[in-house]
Amino acid sequence: MRRAHCWPRSKRSSPLHDAKSEPAPIRRGAVSDQLWLGLGCTALAAVIALIWIPMDSGTGLIEVQRRRITLGDALAPTLAAGFIGLGGCVLLLQSLAAKPGEPAARLQRSHLLFLLRFLAICGLGLVLMRWAGPLAVALADPFVAADLNYRSLRDTAPWKYIGYLTGGTFIAAALMAGAEGRWRPRHLALALATSLALALLFDLPLDGLLLPPNGDL
Amino acid sequence: MHQQIFASHKNAEKEYLVTWFIKALAATGFVAALTTSVHASDWSPSGPVKLMIAFAAGGGADTQARLIAEDLEAKLGWELIPQQVTGKGGLNLAKALHDMPADGTAIGMVVTETLGYNMRVADAGMTPDDFTAITTTSSFQMAVVAPSTKGWTSFADVIAAAKSGETLRFGVMSPKLADLAYLVSEAQGVEFNIVSVRGGREVMNGVIAGDMDLGFMAGIQGKAVDAGEMVNLASALSTPLIQTPDAPVFADLGVPFNADGYFLFIGPKDMPTATRDALAEAISDVVSTEGYKSNAMITAAFGGATVIAGDAAQTLVTEGYDAAGALLATVEAE
Amino acid sequence: MGLTDYIWLGVLAVFQGPEAFDLFGLSVSITVLMVVAGFILGIVVGATPGLAGPMAMAIALPLLISAFGFTPDALLPVMGFLIGVMKGATLGGAVPAILFNTPGTPDAYLTTLDGHPMTRAGQARKALKIAHVSSATGDTFSDVVLILCAPFLAVVIEGYLDLPEKTALLILSLAFVASVIGNSVGKGLIAMGLGLMAAYIGTGEDFYPRLSFGTQSLARGFPVTTAVLGVLILGEVFKSLDDLRRDRHRPDAPKAPKPTDHAALSRADLRRIAPYIARSAVIGTAVGALPGIGSTLAATLGHTSGARRHARKHPDRLPFGKGAPEGIAATEAANSAVSGANLIPVLSLGIPGNAAAVFLILATESIGGFNPGPAVFRIPPDRINPELVVAFGLFTMMMLANLMNWTIGGVFMRMAGVMARARKEFLMPMVLLLTLTVIYVQDPRMIAICFAIGFGVLGYLMRRVGMSPLPFVIAFLLARRLEDTARQAFSATGGDAWFLFTHPIAALFMALAVVSVGLSLRRSAGQQRP
Repeated sequence: MRRAHCWPRSKRSSPLHDAKSEPAPIRRGAVSDQLWLGLGCTALAAVIALIWIPMDSGTGLIEVQRRRITLGDALAPTLAAGFIGLGGCVLLLQSLAAKPGEPAARLQRSHLLFLLRFLAICGLGLVLMRWAGPLAVALADPFVAADLNYRSLRDTAPWKYIGYLTGGTFIAAALMAGAEGRWRPRHLALALATSLALALLFDLPLDGLLLPPNGDL
Repeated sequence: MHQQIFASHKNAEKEYLVTWFIKALAATGFVAALTTSVHASDWSPSGPVKLMIAFAAGGGADTQARLIAEDLEAKLGWELIPQQVTGKGGLNLAKALHDMPADGTAIGMVVTETLGYNMRVADAGMTPDDFTAITTTSSFQMAVVAPSTKGWTSFADVIAAAKSGETLRFGVMSPKLADLAYLVSEAQGVEFNIVSVRGGREVMNGVIAGDMDLGFMAGIQGKAVDAGEMVNLASALSTPLIQTPDAPVFADLGVPFNADGYFLFIGPKDMPTATRDALAEAISDVVSTEGYKSNAMITAAFGGATVIAGDAAQTLVTEGYDAAGALLATVEAE
Repeated sequence: MGLTDYIWLGVLAVFQGPEAFDLFGLSVSITVLMVVAGFILGIVVGATPGLAGPMAMAIALPLLISAFGFTPDALLPVMGFLIGVMKGATLGGAVPAILFNTPGTPDAYLTTLDGHPMTRAGQARKALKIAHVSSATGDTFSDVVLILCAPFLAVVIEGYLDLPEKTALLILSLAFVASVIGNSVGKGLIAMGLGLMAAYIGTGEDFYPRLSFGTQSLARGFPVTTAVLGVLILGEVFKSLDDLRRDRHRPDAPKAPKPTDHAALSRADLRRIAPYIARSAVIGTAVGALPGIGSTLAATLGHTSGARRHARKHPDRLPFGKGAPEGIAATEAANSAVSGANLIPVLSLGIPGNAAAVFLILATESIGGFNPGPAVFRIPPDRINPELVVAFGLFTMMMLANLMNWTIGGVFMRMAGVMARARKEFLMPMVLLLTLTVIYVQDPRMIAICFAIGFGVLGYLMRRVGMSPLPFVIAFLLARRLEDTARQAFSATGGDAWFLFTHPIAALFMALAVVSVGLSLRRSAGQQRP
């Protein structure tokens, strides 16, 4: 099954490729990245197991119920945290044993910047998606005889599409522009066409499905 | 969508009020609220009704809820939007429903155990008084079942096996049933290893695979019992089972509690009586009238609808909540 | 009811289901139609840069369920579509690798080694044909092994495994997956731990939803689709978007040289590649039967072993890597042979081994009426076991898809070459929006979309630090079953805290789990100090 792993598509980021034919350039500090990852995961595991789980579980590691010992709700997550910690320790030990300068995948500042920008786009898009519909209804209300409210119109065209189309178009267009590095009108057109097509794909043939945000109401 | 609005026109049968102008508005999907306020004498929802379902999609209970929604849409032109809110024995649904408007546009389907035992044990700041019980639709046929390969023909055989030193595993699918299994073992002076699983289907699979020796099932064992592959050893209800009336009930086995339970529609607190009764009437009508899909399904799975509506339903859940207190106290005292 | 009756019922269930349309007086069932549709979609998706079979399966699943409902009748059409996509994508993936030197996956990279040189030499048609024949053979062989093995394995398991053994088997599978996927046991364990952790939020036996910070949004836990689609698909989309931004000044879509060859493979050609196909099909099937190892290792092993044989036996011919047809055959047969065998643990144990299997399990879990595991292959004396009928229906559909693979696969494969020109800059945002919509449809809360984006960020970060997301996904999927089974085993043994070690088979599984982690540790330690 070739497609199994959803591996990255681009040639340069294929791990096997890195290993076989195009050794990644040796970066300084690559080993210490592994060290940081190990440390981070060990610390995370400790916080989860020692603080979060004890404070936020209904039952302990084991419980006495009906005069029998049973496994409590805290046990499984504590073991999961144990695996995270164990993995972290393995990374730590390996990074200490490794020679400096060995290639390793690493997280760069630019990755985090990308994430920030990306999350900002998604955040803004979701806000539009959630509130564009109710806003439109509120704006239309004074012009119609009846009392309009979005909740009772959430499964009525055209209202039910407003939020999805606005938010969806925004997200898709902004990401297309980001990927191309410049803004072009066709991004907007393509994004609108995409959200419209998806709205119709989900809404028309399938009864009982709700587009965002109409299920929240 | 448009079709639905026109359908509600037809049902209103008061189209004289609907001028050409409003028709045009409605055709573009403008004012659903307007069209419904037209026939206010006969309550109907002011918009789409959110129907929360506390059961996993695809199961029998979920199917029942969705068929009822379909029937109501077909019969009354109401628009229902089924939505899964599963987990924590229905309490997740209760929490979500708690804050919804009580105007009949948000209802939920749970089991009586949700507002009874589960709410009592969870101590999550909710009581049955925080909800409006609308109507029940059907009752469970909760039985203690074993595969016939075990060679047991009555519950006494089980007790005899346990007393002869055999370690028996008792499959249960909710904490309340675990308590009942425990009480029955105490009353009979034996010990069971009580194994909790998710749902009656898993009890059945576990019993077949030999992971458990006997367990509670609420009706799915019917065909296997008919085929002689499984045996109903006891009724966990206050009344005998329909399929095997000779099996003893829990009271006969020395347990003063039972697993009587119903599928129940609920709404948020303080739902207007007219709204509640209109919903109850609509639901009970489709589940108990032949020709509706939900009626066919309920008849096949539970031997027919059991409708307890309105104040009687509210009393039922309050009693269930109180009985749960007594059950818990007994289990803790044992 | 004997076994043959069940086989026949399974075949009938596929061909005599509800009719879709009438073709020259021959009624074509919806199920058959869905297999065909899935297969064609799979080829297209496989041939499109940035898309992959599991992506299409993930996105199609909720739509299919909405269309067909949750009844057991929906099982065959829905699974048929998914199986079609799985097989089509396996075939389609070779297209861009051969024509444009753009491998979609690490194992397709091995196909480019010989495939693209052939294209440059004007032999694109032949290269595609060889890929097609090898892929179809590997796939079919693997399915035959699946059909022969899964029922027996399942029956043996049901006979010998009690609750403690089942718990130990789940632990062994997770340990194995964590240690073999990717090249770092540490990262595999972390990914697995995170997957378990995420699944334990909001769940549990107690009425208080654990780890929910008392909030309602977390109290319901993360639905499987949210976590799986987030980490597996959104994470990949985020990464592609980021790569595109970094990699902006690439040349336009590559152009393949015009093929000058004939499409037909001669008998001599077939004789030449047959030994490589056979060898790789066996390797791929063996590798595929173990959960988590996947097609990359299979392709590598197939390619390496083929190369060795080639250099030894035919030093006169074009060597591997210079455009040898044998190279394509060895790679494609091996990675295609993984897909069928990968369903052996799925059907007999309910344990998914790769992303495609994850979505098949998800389908059965959502629809109900079919619980992959030992119970499927039981033959009760007086009743029909509907799950067994479904199982044989599945086998029938796989064989049907293979038949299509042989007959129409090649044609669609050549046509799908067009898809390599699709622009990822536009495709990725579309996939993102589609995925978010699918998630909302499954769990209609805006917060679910936010959770999915959060899982996407996790998937992105995991990819950036070189951590495979697959152990996360498989752990997430098995987490609740693991906890439930452990609880049940503990109660059933009367509170024996050592139930994993006092039962011999369970103890054996636990020892194997430790060994598999230990061996991988040594392996990676060896890699670190060459």
